[in-house]
Amino acid sequence: MILKNNLKEVRQKKGFTQEELGNNVGVSRQTIISIERYRYKPTLELAMKIALKLNIKIEKLFYFEEQ
Amino acid sequence: MMDLSKKEISILIEIIYSIVFALIFLPYFYENQETTLILMDGLVEKIIQIIICTIIYFSIAYALLEIAFKKRETRDERDDMINSKSYKLGYLLYEFSLFIFIGYVCSKFQNKELLNLTGNQELYNGFQLTDGGIVFFIIVLLASISVIKSLYQFYLYRTV
Repeated sequence: MILKNNLKEVRQKKGFTQEELGNNVGVSRQTIISIERYRYKPTLELAMKIALKLNIKIEKLFYFEEQ
Repeated sequence: MMDLSKKEISILIEIIYSIVFALIFLPYFYENQETTLILMDGLVEKIIQIIICTIIYFSIAYALLEIAFKKRETRDERDDMINSKSYKLGYLLYEFSLFIFIGYVCSKFQNKELLNLTGNQELYNGFQLTDGGIVFFIIVLLASISVIKSLYQFYLYRTV
């Protein structure tokens, strides 16, 4: 199973840029880019911060996909 | 160059420093590896030269970096993850190299004893393992591990 996410779609829908979202949750723009490209798996704390900021349930934002 | 982040450029600065340091200063230690430290010609001057060059290089490089990237970059959990991975690699390499070095020293001394037993006085007298040689080995080791660690760190920043 691979951990995937809808971060890019949700972020764009909520009108945040990568930079703005990063600043709001205390990470760099590169970290947001890496998460969106599935290159970096965020810690639970960061995932929850992002979900909270985007006002979405964490399980809607991050999900497992069968390989 | 525009595609690189501030953190990636600062890693490149470290890599360039290690390579330039090796090219400029290593020949001196290489030439003196069979001498003891006390007898090395101009060792103190060389150390002062290294310190001054290092300070000047990093001051200029980081000042230019700050001018080019005025915005302060956030340090976050991804940086910590990348740093821990690259430092772990550096540490493992360092540990591994030390074992090789200890093995090398032991085998040299064993060979020396063998030369003594076989009565080959010429080779026996030619045997040397000076503190200059040890310093040279350690500098080569640190410079290469530093380059490998920084290259891996750079690779992780580009791929993670």
